[in-house]
Amino acid sequence: MNTTFRFAWRNIWRHPRRTILTMIAIGFGCALLVFSIGFQLGQYDLMIANSVKIFEGLIQVQKKGYFEDSKMRSSIPDIQTLTERLRKQTGIMDISPRANGFALVSSETRTYGTMIIGVDPKYEDKVSIIPGLVKEGRYLAQEDANEVVIGKSLAKNMKLSIGDEITLMGNGRDGSIAATILPVVGIFESGSKDLDRNIIEMPLATFQDTFSMEGHGHSIVIYHKDAKLVNELQKTVLQLVEDQETLTALRWDQLQPGLKEAIELDYSSGWFTYIVLVVIIVFSIMNTFLMSVMERTREFGIMLALGYKALNIGKLVMLEACLLTIVAVFIGTLLGVAINYYFYVHGLTLSGMEEIAQMYNMPSTITPQISFESIVIGPLIIFFSTILSALYPALRIRLLQPIEAMRRV
Amino acid sequence: MEKYKTCFISCILWILLWHSLPVNSEPSAKDIIQAAIDYYRDESSFSVAEMTIHRPDWERTMKMQVWTQGIDKSLVRIIAPKKDKGNGNLVIGDDMWSFTPKINRVIKIPASMAHQGWMGSDFSNNDVAKADDLIEKFTHRILDTQHHDNKILYIIESIPHEDAPVVWGKEIVKVREDFLMIAQEFYDQDNQLVKTLSTSDIKMMSGKLTVATQRMQKVDKPNEWTEFHILEADYGVQIPDRYFTLSHLRNPRR
Repeated sequence: MNTTFRFAWRNIWRHPRRTILTMIAIGFGCALLVFSIGFQLGQYDLMIANSVKIFEGLIQVQKKGYFEDSKMRSSIPDIQTLTERLRKQTGIMDISPRANGFALVSSETRTYGTMIIGVDPKYEDKVSIIPGLVKEGRYLAQEDANEVVIGKSLAKNMKLSIGDEITLMGNGRDGSIAATILPVVGIFESGSKDLDRNIIEMPLATFQDTFSMEGHGHSIVIYHKDAKLVNELQKTVLQLVEDQETLTALRWDQLQPGLKEAIELDYSSGWFTYIVLVVIIVFSIMNTFLMSVMERTREFGIMLALGYKALNIGKLVMLEACLLTIVAVFIGTLLGVAINYYFYVHGLTLSGMEEIAQMYNMPSTITPQISFESIVIGPLIIFFSTILSALYPALRIRLLQPIEAMRRV
Repeated sequence: MEKYKTCFISCILWILLWHSLPVNSEPSAKDIIQAAIDYYRDESSFSVAEMTIHRPDWERTMKMQVWTQGIDKSLVRIIAPKKDKGNGNLVIGDDMWSFTPKINRVIKIPASMAHQGWMGSDFSNNDVAKADDLIEKFTHRILDTQHHDNKILYIIESIPHEDAPVVWGKEIVKVREDFLMIAQEFYDQDNQLVKTLSTSDIKMMSGKLTVATQRMQKVDKPNEWTEFHILEADYGVQIPDRYFTLSHLRNPRR
């Protein structure tokens, strides 16, 4: 084995220039894959983090079936107490209760049907960035303040400005007619069309009072900045609300299935590019290997004539391929990780993004994801497909006849 | 000459008269629907009714007074429970307004809310406001005749005109020969049954047979329904025109 290994190593360096060029091709491919996968995953992390942060939270506790069919009756009793208990038991303070309703909302001139969200002004800013995105006026003051904040597009559609009154009319939890008049104290602009066009927020206690909720609410929103902990967190929360059989805890990807699908779609279309890249690399490598086998036909003929088994020659060639690839993949991966690490520390700012990001209260830099997955996937694929491409020249050796091979020019 | 003229005119009159009489014992589908709606709405009416909204885990009943005039004007005022007392609803033509004493405001229900439940019930705002859609926007055809309490029951298929702004693919309306509307089935564009309005409890009220109970039931939610019970009804009553005005909706003067 030791001799074969040395034999192979020396063979690689018989043509240093060719070997180095091949190594550069493989290494560069590796670095590129590590870099792009890292960035792609990093971008998804950012997308998830942002959409979790805007409004929905990482996890929501709801009554079973509420997500599918959001009825006012499917509510969580005594929501403030349960929320407080969850804060204590999980140690996470970023938990806030909400109640959701639908109402006819009228300004002086216009009437629209919109979502009404009852929020706890004390905690809402910990689970949603909407309180920080109030562009005019201010956010809700205290828990029972009689006031609302409203999305910018909705305000525009309804011709509302700060200080104007809106009239709300809907059905309460007990089926009674819910109605109230409240002044607009703030207008928020989240950048999400859905939110800006459809949402009115009011303090939870005011909501409960208006819609005869009697202390009930519809969801407890839990925020955590590390989306990767979502599964553990979900398990913990599920255990904590176990005593209330009718409750469930939903993850961000269950709450926003569209986002998850969009990411998956983008990821798989990204893979199409990667596969093309890998195929190009593989063919150029295959060419190198094939050449190195072909030009050594006479050499192999002599080896065969000397009694060296074709299988062993095949092994030798495979070993050469392995050595070359391992070295190249190793260097390439290091390079890729180095690049990603640089951007991980410094962040990549795309020109023009800063302003937009600032407007919507989001980070303006993308950082690549540095994880086992993002580092290992690309190089592994390159390694195995390269070895696979060396298999063909190696197997060809078995077809050689010693005499004929020796006579080849 | 004069004699011929008179004869000619009387001939024409005779022909006209003859044609306007029902030649056929079977009336046309459109006439039946028209007659059923006319019968149901009458010239005017005043009734007291109860609406029960049933859900698997709760139930709620509201009591209300209903005034109607012709086919396109109606006023509803809730009298019980106490929490909702005074809420009102005015329909004139295709427009609907709602009044809530809690905020002392009248709100016009926008067209976008047409398919939302009326006062939280399974009746949509459209069901309440657009009773005459069936006449103006549908083409009718008698599918079958059956029997209901020893009376002929016409099964009529109503398909909306191609350009009519109607969400239904078709409706099946069951009308008895005495023009009582017995059932109404609503189908979507894919011909799937969405909801049914069934009736029971046919009673004499102020000298007129009246369907006292109507139940709206969505097909995909068998545990949820809304029942509308007419407790008492009076037909052809004199109702002052001012009843069907926004100011009266806001401020009912006795």
